[in-house]
Amino acid sequence: MNDRDPLDRPLSAAYRPGVAYDEMYDKDASVRAHYAALQSRISTLGAGELADRQKTLEQSFLLQGITFTVYGAETSTEQIIPTDLFPRIIPAAEWAKIEAGLSQRLQALNLFLADIYGDQIILKDGVVPRDLVLGAPAYRREMQGLYVPHKAYANVCGSDLIRNEAGEFVVLEDNLRVPSGVSYMLANRDAAKRTFPGTYRTSGVRSIERYPDMLLATLKSLAAEWRPNPQVVVLTPGVYNSAYYEHAYLARLMGAPLVEGRDLVVHDNLVYMRTTVGLKRVDVIYRRVDDDYIDHLTFRRDSALGAAGLFNAYRAGNVVIANAPGAGVADDKAVYAYVPEIIRYYLDQEPILSNVETYLCREQKQLGYVLDNLDRLVIKAVGASGGYGMLVGPHASAQERSDFAQQLKADPSNYIAQPTIQLSTAPCLVDGAIEPRHVDLRPFILCGDKIVVTPGALTRVALKRGSLVVNSSQGGGSKDTWVLTGENETAAAGDLPA
Amino acid sequence: MMLARVADSLYWMGRYIERAEHVSRLSDVMLTASLDATGDAPRAARTALGASEDIDEGKTAVDVALGLILDREDPGSVIVSVARARENARQVRDQITSETWERLNLLFLRITSPDAKRQFDQRAVTFLHEVISDLHLFKGAVDSTMSHGEGWRFLMLGIYLERAQLIARLLDASFGEAAQGSPLSDHLSQMGLLRMACALEPYLRVYTADIQPRLIQEFLLFNEDFPRSIRFSTARIEEHLRALAGHGNVQASGAPERLAGRLSSRLHFADLEETATSGAGGLLATVSQDCGRIHEAIYGAFVAYPLEQHLPT
Repeated sequence: MNDRDPLDRPLSAAYRPGVAYDEMYDKDASVRAHYAALQSRISTLGAGELADRQKTLEQSFLLQGITFTVYGAETSTEQIIPTDLFPRIIPAAEWAKIEAGLSQRLQALNLFLADIYGDQIILKDGVVPRDLVLGAPAYRREMQGLYVPHKAYANVCGSDLIRNEAGEFVVLEDNLRVPSGVSYMLANRDAAKRTFPGTYRTSGVRSIERYPDMLLATLKSLAAEWRPNPQVVVLTPGVYNSAYYEHAYLARLMGAPLVEGRDLVVHDNLVYMRTTVGLKRVDVIYRRVDDDYIDHLTFRRDSALGAAGLFNAYRAGNVVIANAPGAGVADDKAVYAYVPEIIRYYLDQEPILSNVETYLCREQKQLGYVLDNLDRLVIKAVGASGGYGMLVGPHASAQERSDFAQQLKADPSNYIAQPTIQLSTAPCLVDGAIEPRHVDLRPFILCGDKIVVTPGALTRVALKRGSLVVNSSQGGGSKDTWVLTGENETAAAGDLPA
Repeated sequence: MMLARVADSLYWMGRYIERAEHVSRLSDVMLTASLDATGDAPRAARTALGASEDIDEGKTAVDVALGLILDREDPGSVIVSVARARENARQVRDQITSETWERLNLLFLRITSPDAKRQFDQRAVTFLHEVISDLHLFKGAVDSTMSHGEGWRFLMLGIYLERAQLIARLLDASFGEAAQGSPLSDHLSQMGLLRMACALEPYLRVYTADIQPRLIQEFLLFNEDFPRSIRFSTARIEEHLRALAGHGNVQASGAPERLAGRLSSRLHFADLEETATSGAGGLLATVSQDCGRIHEAIYGAFVAYPLEQHLPT
């Protein structure tokens, strides 16, 4: 093994990008300009040094408790979410388009939600099929006609973007329910600063450290009209939830209490938390609990994660729940196909970011096409997430495909299909060698009295060679994402306001 | 003002940390003392730990210590106490500093590592010293990085209530009723006892190497400056409860504060001359019972209070 200059000979045996767009190398195997500084730094480090840094990084995650628990027969062990030491870099111009596109999209989706839970004009105009929206699993009839501050239903959004073979960023999914991963974005940044301090300093990377206080400001803006200094809390399902680390992390950095359902008491449509000095009024709940579980009197009866009567307090306008219940109807995988139309309808603008071409199996003609092309498509269940309930056609066996076809025919409206897109690849350290792995991009967008796109993202990595599935539940990892300020700009330019 | 559940977790975190340290130290002294074939210290340690029946089963000191440290089935073992302290710390991760959390997490990872048993087998005493010093580092991080406000006081309450009860039990096992008529009498065992209370060096500075049961009891019960004496512990309990009452609802927290004040003044005015006639056993039992009552009163005042009292009318 060559112990020096592991990247000295790009596109040699050490690094072979394949057909996908590679984040670091262009088609001629030259390093893209915005990766030059990192590449030259990496090439001065030997394989041993890189392995050491990777190990230090993993140790630090373990120590901080950025882990999930694997329960075994006799003992349980703590494992970290795999994290890669090389940052993924996005130049300023590309980010400007992403930022504008995401703002536009969230603005349109919130207008759509306000309409759906209001007069339903878009349905009357026949732009989106009525049954598709009102029959979506995430539609909440209970939300009909309720007042929502700033008409901001989705306050924290984590969209999934991918870069296709042509190098263009497209939106794969909008997550408007309880998107997670922002703590990994921040932890990865901490780690990257320690791993490549010099490169970080000279590259002009935009800061993401203000996410927690921007989140707090967003949440407070939701109650600003009726409470001068609102009490914000973070509602978690509890310590056994796989995202518990993130809930505690955000609560700590916002200085907001981390509450569980059992800490809350609803009396006379007011929400309180049990404190050491009695009951204290709660005004804004940043809930990390799914719609179904926030109030067993209104939603699922078997749930003990929320607080009884919470929804009535919400309906009475005495507490804000963020994101609003029912916001998920706008990130439904079938509604997704209509988002470009939704943008045109409400904003009279062309979408800045494209969708991935999507076939709705509920349409007879499209179902026919999907069934004929199962080997080339990715099929997803409308209600599922996290990489479950999907078929990656080209990677499936003939048997798996014919089994899935049966499910499809039995319940076509439950499925959509998309062409298999070769997600772009980025260099990752895998077993001591630098190899290309497919990545996506999850930026985080906040929406209260205004929309703020955090200038950074969680880059998720499919750690298995050739795999296109980046979900952490399916063996995915993550890495830091550097959004550059651009040439001749100071590091602070364009950052969040002071 | 803080969540009642959070106060509860911080309190229990303190109790488990103190318990882990105490059991580690007793195991350490027991192991060291067992090297000298004479002396009753190991027996007293076992009695204090409720492990005396193991003697009948013919277990060696090393077997007993291994169980006390690494047995996940034993609710009193160090590994269980550390795991529970960490579980409570995770529950309140937003309330404690990263420095505090990382110290505890480090200890947890060390003691639950698959390698822990091998390390214990190879060099048990060193292993225990590392555990104890990790716990000291944790307490140092608590002291020097956490705000000394309400949450910190609940944590300290847990530590001192647990400590007062553990020292009372240790004294009882050595000289009281639990000694079953054979109190520690030889010099070596009495030194071992002082080590178990982490008190040997501070004791020597006060009384010189003149080690006597009466003086040991006087020191561990009444010394005002030694942080593991029962008087010191109860004074801290009273102090923290008084400060907590100042944070909010004075009426509700009156009960635990009053109980702590009563225990504290009882210890203040008692002395061994007085207890000599009836033995220290009576006083030790009072300490134990009163600590139990304070524990319940804390729950009633801060954690599991009836909601009806607090609902707006």
